[in-house]
Amino acid sequence: MKLFPKQKRNLLAFGAAIAMAGGAAADGTFRYATVGEPPSLDQHVVTSDLATTIAHHMFEGLYTFDSSNSPRPLLASGDSMSEDGKSITISLREGVLFHNGDEMTSTDVVASLRRWGEHGSRGGLLFANVDSVSASGDHEVTIQLSAPFGPWKNLLAFINGGPAIHPASVMEGSGKEPIAPQDYIGTGPYMFSEWVANRHVELVRFDGYVSPEGTPDGYAGQRSAEFDSLRFIPVPDVGTRVAGLKAGDYDYAESIPGDLYAELDADESVRTILNGSPIFGLVFMNSRHGPLMENFALRRAIQAALDKTAALHVAIGPEGLWRANGSFLPEGNVWYSENGTGQFSLGDPDSSRAIAEEAGYDGDPIKFMVSTNYPFHYDSAVVYTKQLAQAGFNIDLQVYDWATLIQKRAQPDQWDLFFTHHGFVPDPILISVMNDNYPGWWTTKEKADLKSRFTMSSDPAERQAIWSEIQGLIYEQVPTMKTGDVYTYNIASPALKGLGEATLIWPHFWNVSK
Amino acid sequence: MLTLLPTLAAASFLVFLFIHLIPGDPAAILLGDAATPEAAAALSKELGLDEPLLKQYALWLGNVAQGDLGTSIFFQQPVLSVIGDGAETSILLAVMTMFWIIAFGVPVGVISAIRRGSWIDQISSGGAMLFASVPTFWLGLYLIHIFSVGLGWFPSSGFPSISDDGGLANLRYLLLPSLTLAAPNAALIIRLVRASMLDVSREDYVRTARAKGLHPARVAVRHVFRNALIAVAAAFGFTFAALVSEAVVTETVFSLPGIGRLVVQSILRRDYPVIQGVVLVVVVLYMAVNLLVDLAYASLDPRVSLN
Repeated sequence: MKLFPKQKRNLLAFGAAIAMAGGAAADGTFRYATVGEPPSLDQHVVTSDLATTIAHHMFEGLYTFDSSNSPRPLLASGDSMSEDGKSITISLREGVLFHNGDEMTSTDVVASLRRWGEHGSRGGLLFANVDSVSASGDHEVTIQLSAPFGPWKNLLAFINGGPAIHPASVMEGSGKEPIAPQDYIGTGPYMFSEWVANRHVELVRFDGYVSPEGTPDGYAGQRSAEFDSLRFIPVPDVGTRVAGLKAGDYDYAESIPGDLYAELDADESVRTILNGSPIFGLVFMNSRHGPLMENFALRRAIQAALDKTAALHVAIGPEGLWRANGSFLPEGNVWYSENGTGQFSLGDPDSSRAIAEEAGYDGDPIKFMVSTNYPFHYDSAVVYTKQLAQAGFNIDLQVYDWATLIQKRAQPDQWDLFFTHHGFVPDPILISVMNDNYPGWWTTKEKADLKSRFTMSSDPAERQAIWSEIQGLIYEQVPTMKTGDVYTYNIASPALKGLGEATLIWPHFWNVSK
Repeated sequence: MLTLLPTLAAASFLVFLFIHLIPGDPAAILLGDAATPEAAAALSKELGLDEPLLKQYALWLGNVAQGDLGTSIFFQQPVLSVIGDGAETSILLAVMTMFWIIAFGVPVGVISAIRRGSWIDQISSGGAMLFASVPTFWLGLYLIHIFSVGLGWFPSSGFPSISDDGGLANLRYLLLPSLTLAAPNAALIIRLVRASMLDVSREDYVRTARAKGLHPARVAVRHVFRNALIAVAAAFGFTFAALVSEAVVTETVFSLPGIGRLVVQSILRRDYPVIQGVVLVVVVLYMAVNLLVDLAYASLDPRVSLN
């Protein structure tokens, strides 16, 4: 067969490539091996952590968090509040450009906040208390509240399911459906380049980026895009993610299992990076249907039977990667509280049996749903099922894929318990059990009273004290059971500079180079 | 060809029905764990997933008739483009794998049959058994550790399109995966060629050819191998079709953006339009392969008439 010159060159290149070491990528491209693909990068409606890991390089909100999880201005330059706590005026940084070259103004911010408030996953939390959002100047917006709402700044700063700022032209006509990739226009240091299904999501440096000032601290402070592009590549097999990083095909790989930690931590060709903000498992109880509906005593009996430490040993492995911590936020955090945590991990089958008998439990099956998509859910659930059986409970463990579980959990007559996990959040109002509509549907009067006081207060000390009361109530009414803190970790090439010792919530790669 | 249409319609309807009967809501998966059931229901409605099943199917079928396979719920891209990208990887992987299968499987099978009972036959039959038994994920990971991590000769995973920078040189990404995938399939072809050759060599016309004093090599090639190929041709055809659509494990281990991994991921996230589209493409592929195998029979066996 006669070859064209280009084909000849390609064949020569193929031969040369075979002879050479493979896997080298062009300088300036950062390659991140992800565990899968994000569902969408639209931060208003999607709450996937992977989506945020990618998207927060493109999209920015009015505020962000520093390393102590305190909100700091990002696109905002300052704010003030009226004396009655109902009117918030936010001034915007001037000269900030969108990726399409247009300057960000209050029109864009108002349109973004309105869409997030109406259709965003977490927008309803704030907008249930918002009367209006309006532009009070070219670079100033005013939020009028119906009642004082303490966590407003934390909600505006949390980008996951949060109020990323887009051009008003993108927000026009946007509804519940995620915005399409061609509309991924933000103000971040990297901008959207392409999403090739099954291959990669690629962002490229935004040369018109206008950075906030200040020393980098957490997600706050100056941001600088050092790479030409960031490429997020789905590599579902963990063995391949690890081997690929060691071979130099990737610079960073996420979600590495605990049983590899000791080996990788000792390997000089790999750098392990702990996530400083733990995730935590939650077992929700059904408050709308079934034997646990209003029987708080029976719920406490289930809680008393569980030894969470044993399950963490089995499900996570090395002790450095988990903590049997009953406080919903970790030690050192401003929301840390020991209220109620004495009930966290009793592991006492005799006491559990006695409480259950007193609560009228007669051996009816208790449907416990868990998914195998997350191995630590399933492993923990198996341990809990055994512990509950020892305390005399008749547990019907129902194992599903995640898609099936999240559909079934929306139907109150399908389950009594289900296992899920929760990412770190900087304000307890964002914990799913605080949402009355989240499956489990915890809506007692005691909760409503405390929640109302919690959201109406703007005093940090008072809010911390009320949260401590809410945590105590959770251990008393048991709408959910925390299963312990899990410190996930990622691995990186030792050649990367600027990564820091630990990630805050999601890893970020501005101010990082190689 | 018109007779293929009812098969296509039946396959697409059954798959549509089965995939919608599995519990799971793509809207809830899209929004994530923090979304409430009400939010998922609102998105489902916006995506048209709350319509009656038959109406959804009729709509889909109508669009397919106009060459539109719909839009992926997950990727928000046309299904045709999502499948097209995966098809490039899968077809190239299948072609390279078939190359190794034919290059190793056929000669070794022929030699093994000709030298039946010799040490060569013993080694090739033992080797074939070994490779047929080795799990592909194990072999793949070992090849990565030796040739990518250890020696650094080949990339560990991924596959940039040959239309990207690098061109045909990007095929080096498929070398280890194709060898991994070829190992068990070549082993089966070795066994099949050997068994088929031995069967044919016992036929009367082969004995006659030998009695006529033909050279043993000519007997082996012209009379035995050619007739043995009739049985092997179907295996080649269906192995190729299976390689395109079912190489899920190899695609996962080597992180290849192929059709097998795409369909598994699409099932997990209930991306109905992509699942439907892939099934349609795979059914067409199997039909095409079936047709080609029939044509191959006609060319290999003069007794078979295309009429």
